[in-house]
Amino acid sequence: MIRRVAFNLFAWTIVLAVAFPLFWMLVTSVKPQFELFRRPPTFLPETWTFEHYWRLLSSTNFLTYFRNSVILSTSTTVVVIAIATIGAYSLVRFRYRGRENLAFLVLFTYLLPSVVLIIPLYLMLVQLGLSNTILSLVIAYTTFALPYALWLLRSFMAGIPEDLESAALVDGATRLGAFRDVILPQLLPGIISTALFTFILSWNEYLYALVLVNSDSARPLTTGVMNMLVSSFNIEWSLLMAASVMMSVPLIIVFAFLQSYLTRGFGAGGVKG
Amino acid sequence: MQAKTLTRLERRYALLGALLIAPTVLVFCAVIVYPLVSAMYLSLFKIFTPTLEGGWVGLDNYHTLLGNPEFWTALRTNIIWTVGTLTLQILCGVGMALVLHQNIWFRSLARSLILFPYFVSTVVAVLVWKWLFNDLYGILNHLMIVARLTEFPIDYLGSMPNAMISVIVVGAWKYFPFVVIAVLARLQTIPDALYEAAKIDGAGPIARFFDVTLPQLRDVLVVIIMLRAIWDFKEFDLIYLLTGGGPITSTQTLPLLVYKEAFALNQMGMASAYAVVMMAIMLFFMILYIRRTRTEEDT
Repeated sequence: MIRRVAFNLFAWTIVLAVAFPLFWMLVTSVKPQFELFRRPPTFLPETWTFEHYWRLLSSTNFLTYFRNSVILSTSTTVVVIAIATIGAYSLVRFRYRGRENLAFLVLFTYLLPSVVLIIPLYLMLVQLGLSNTILSLVIAYTTFALPYALWLLRSFMAGIPEDLESAALVDGATRLGAFRDVILPQLLPGIISTALFTFILSWNEYLYALVLVNSDSARPLTTGVMNMLVSSFNIEWSLLMAASVMMSVPLIIVFAFLQSYLTRGFGAGGVKG
Repeated sequence: MQAKTLTRLERRYALLGALLIAPTVLVFCAVIVYPLVSAMYLSLFKIFTPTLEGGWVGLDNYHTLLGNPEFWTALRTNIIWTVGTLTLQILCGVGMALVLHQNIWFRSLARSLILFPYFVSTVVAVLVWKWLFNDLYGILNHLMIVARLTEFPIDYLGSMPNAMISVIVVGAWKYFPFVVIAVLARLQTIPDALYEAAKIDGAGPIARFFDVTLPQLRDVLVVIIMLRAIWDFKEFDLIYLLTGGGPITSTQTLPLLVYKEAFALNQMGMASAYAVVMMAIMLFFMILYIRRTRTEEDT
């Protein structure tokens, strides 16, 4: 019994230590400015305040960035999932020449560093007159999101028994009919998983946003919030921590309600390959 | 007759399959294959970023690059970063997975808390850690002074080797959950009978770890190490945001060097050459990983 308690305390000490930076982010965001400079620091705020959140929303560009990020991540996810779902169906359930090689090209691009693609992509998007638009970022984000989504959906698709489809075909369904009525419902959890991963990847992306967008009207959260750090004269840590918390809100929602989908995605694409 | 209709059906299926993969192939060609080829092509030019003007220089960029000590320093830094953070990730990841595999209180809550750093944006992670590292008001320096580990505040990011250690630690904190989840999933599939047998043979907990757990984890660990090595090697955001490659160039890895050449020194051609060389180095690991996945799928 004592050993069990001791082990639990030990385990939870480590877990809390790992989570401490995130706890500290929350605490700092609700402390009034003067309390930050208290020595020794207060572990829980003496006075709670939401003034930083209020200031963030009312007198900075945060809401614009947030809106941009929502539009950007949602469109990337929708485009990528649509292309990848039918693509994965084709890769797994059809036979044609070059199919195997294509699958491994997908895996190859999934591992490709974005700094290699960023220079030509930058030139390409400037020539198309798309620089400084959200659309340019959607295009750039497909470079990493599409291979990722394809690879994940491919392994989800492979997990659906082939007999199901054959049975539908025997019953007189067309290939596309079977896809819609049999495969898609089966694949739905996998699609949700993949969509969540794609959304989070796009939400967190930094390098492309840094290079391709240079105006506040199209800037997503990552570069926008970082700009608040760089451009301010004296750094307001509570404000930045409030921004960090707000930026993590979609993630917290996913964690609270849809976590099983995240861990499922890990098993399918991340490790087993 | 029967055979003929079947092949016609098969041909129609093949056509449908090609039709379904067509959007993927199109997008791939436009945003991945074309840029990839043009990166190699660009590396043979000297291009000034703001005007995009310049001329053919052939292999000169590669010649300059290999003679440039900055490249070799960046490569060395890149390897130190990758090996350092990867080692920490694996050790902490396996350790944490073993702990979470036990029946601890509120296990799913603990798992969520551990998983969170992996999904949080790098920007958020960096901001939080910069605040923790803050020299005057940072909690880390305060704790260090209270614990009497140091008398004066430590400069975590502005001096060496502190900056490298900090980057490695933050990298490990951010990415070790990946190892935890992957190892945890594997641990749950190890049959209990193996442990029972080891127990009967009189093996203690430590012997059981080395004789049962570790051999069972070997395959998944190899895959994790290869994947994470590739991902850590190409990491840009975390290092760029945390130190910007500094102090001076002490934490400047290859991806940061590519970015600097292209968008700070305005040498697009040279930057492409750096990028191509970096990819060539990574290719070794990538092929290793792809070949492994391939054989795994065949069996």
